[in-house]
Amino acid sequence: MSTNNRKILNGYHVIFLTQSTMIGTGILSLPQRLSSLGYSQAFVPLLFGVIASISLLPMIWISSQYKNDNLFTINEKLLGKPFGKSVNLFIVVHFTLFLAGIISNYMHLIQTTALSEQSSTIPVFFLLLLLIYIVSGGIKSIARFCTITFFLTIPMLYFLRWAIEKGELSHLLPLFNFNGSQFLDALKKGYISVLGYELIMFYFPYIINQKKALKHSLIGLWISIILCFITTLVSVIYYSEWQLKNIEYSVLHLFKAGEFTFIERIDIIGITFWIFLILSSAATYLWSAKKGIDSLRAKKKNYHTYLITLAIFLFVVIPYSREYQDKLFKLSYQISYIMLAWPLLLAVVHSLKKKQVKQ
Amino acid sequence: MNRNLILFFASILIMSILVGCTDKELKVPLEDVGMVGIMAFDYIDENSFKLTVSIPQFSPEAKERAQIFSVTTDLISKGIVEIETLSDKKVVLNQLRVVLINEEFARKGNIQKAIHHLYRNADVGNKVLLAIVKENGEEMLKAEYPDKPNVNIYLNDLLQPSINTAFNPNTNIHDYMYTETNPVFDTIVPLLEKKEGKIEMDGIALFKEKHMLKELPEEEALIIQALLGRKKLAPLYLELNQAEQKEELMMDLINSKVSIKGNKNMESPKVSISLHIEGTLVEYRGGREKELVNIKGITKLEHDINKQIEKDIKEFLEKLSELKVDPIGLSENFRMYYKGKWNNKLKEEVISNLQVDVQVDTSIISTGTLK
Repeated sequence: MSTNNRKILNGYHVIFLTQSTMIGTGILSLPQRLSSLGYSQAFVPLLFGVIASISLLPMIWISSQYKNDNLFTINEKLLGKPFGKSVNLFIVVHFTLFLAGIISNYMHLIQTTALSEQSSTIPVFFLLLLLIYIVSGGIKSIARFCTITFFLTIPMLYFLRWAIEKGELSHLLPLFNFNGSQFLDALKKGYISVLGYELIMFYFPYIINQKKALKHSLIGLWISIILCFITTLVSVIYYSEWQLKNIEYSVLHLFKAGEFTFIERIDIIGITFWIFLILSSAATYLWSAKKGIDSLRAKKKNYHTYLITLAIFLFVVIPYSREYQDKLFKLSYQISYIMLAWPLLLAVVHSLKKKQVKQ
Repeated sequence: MNRNLILFFASILIMSILVGCTDKELKVPLEDVGMVGIMAFDYIDENSFKLTVSIPQFSPEAKERAQIFSVTTDLISKGIVEIETLSDKKVVLNQLRVVLINEEFARKGNIQKAIHHLYRNADVGNKVLLAIVKENGEEMLKAEYPDKPNVNIYLNDLLQPSINTAFNPNTNIHDYMYTETNPVFDTIVPLLEKKEGKIEMDGIALFKEKHMLKELPEEEALIIQALLGRKKLAPLYLELNQAEQKEELMMDLINSKVSIKGNKNMESPKVSISLHIEGTLVEYRGGREKELVNIKGITKLEHDINKQIEKDIKEFLEKLSELKVDPIGLSENFRMYYKGKWNNKLKEEVISNLQVDVQVDTSIISTGTLK
């Protein structure tokens, strides 16, 4: 395949890919994850934004050194075939688990709110079918799906109106009412909600204007960060500290505050609409995982997608203990943090290799 | 091509045979769902309570417009299951509108746990209204209200916000949970009393921590709403006793605005409250009827009204300070500047030492179109 027709993502695609991948189930429970900070959590997402922007730099840098390779190939090139491949396998397994975590989390929510009298096997099946459909169109179709998702779901911000009306702005004071360990706890639990931007290392080779990729992905990143900020801000002014700590899906309860004369339970509409956000972020992860298997087997096959989807389905549906399931998902969340630091390591290896070549 | 055709027919055949494997579905049609509109809790003893539900009856053949079921239980969902054995319908809570709690349950029972259960339940919305019932909730549901369509609609409409019952805090499940778990607030809930053929809203119930403490009359409840910053308030009735002669007046309030400032000092807490109200003088009875035709007379009356309201608010806040309760959330003005975790004890400290400075500014916009 020539390198020219691989470049298919324009600036808007990059913006919305970054943006939509970040917003998934994480934001639903973000206020609860940050609850160790109490009311002072309101501005924390902005801090997350700064951290995310900084950690984006090495990702873009290492990708721009290898303009036509995604992270899997870079791993192999820099770390050698055997080690690189085993790292890649690890990433693929991690993505599969992570995806299973996202989907099981969302399905759990749907089960408790909208479909309380039904087991979730069939909805999971259809969700995964849709996912395969989106992913089989390639990264460009995912990017387009992300764009439409953004415009379809952004009106949901209106549903926050009632909570804002009822809220007390005085909750925002005092501003920094927490200590170091509380902050670290919140950082550990909450940062997972803004993950997703690191996938740019996988679709970077498809970007047309790679020099501006940093700018575009930063725009997408900050759109998401501002959405997270709005969520925590409204939660803080609407809830008491106890509620922040104990309401698992705080966005759901924010939607519950409102009522139209013709619709009573806005929360149900909001939560079922959320499926767009789940699909858009899951699709990018699935696509990256598929690329991983492609590079592992050095072949491009469509059934790689089906394989991963099947694994996810089994993870979500097979009734092994929930405790064990949770442990696995937690593990994969923690691995995500390693993924953030990974490009730094690669950058070091890269510069060492360069030196060697010069010598 | 041929192979595809065979595959196609084979799959259709298999699918049609597979239909036999489905379970017979137990989906309940809408007519057979009993949607609970009102739930009432009555105190029996520490561990058990009487749960009464009212389900609207739509069948035209039935004599009564609402089905009422009562069971004695210790868990809410257990009670609902028991009610299902009494009812001809499947009982669901999706349309719950009002929760009644009798006074004894509020004073002694575990009301917190009951509301927590409803708050947790995803079927129940957050806009379910709460009310405390004097005496007995079951009797209130079972009583006859001949001129009302049925008790479900009646109670729900009664508890909805309305200008003439602006003292009503319209506490719903979220408000209850919010004020109950927020250490700067004490919960207030409207209080209902059954009269012959009707239900009367009779002041509010004031909670302290988990239990009901006492009831407050309408006038004091109105002060709470005014200080909470409610814009549209009920018509205000005032008695002025400053002059030699007793005066009575009624004002329609058009707008009210409140600002509360704390002095940020935890040792000697002080708040200054300034309340601005605008209204129309609707009726007046007293000695200065003739003076009220010109602006000078009205200004003097405004001045007297200010003094009277200031006095009322001060007296009420002193009472709260003695009871160590804070339904208005005055201690929020101190929490905002307090480093560390705020708790109920700090609130009580602030409230019991609180000094208040009240400034009321009334303006009578009009007195009607006659001179």
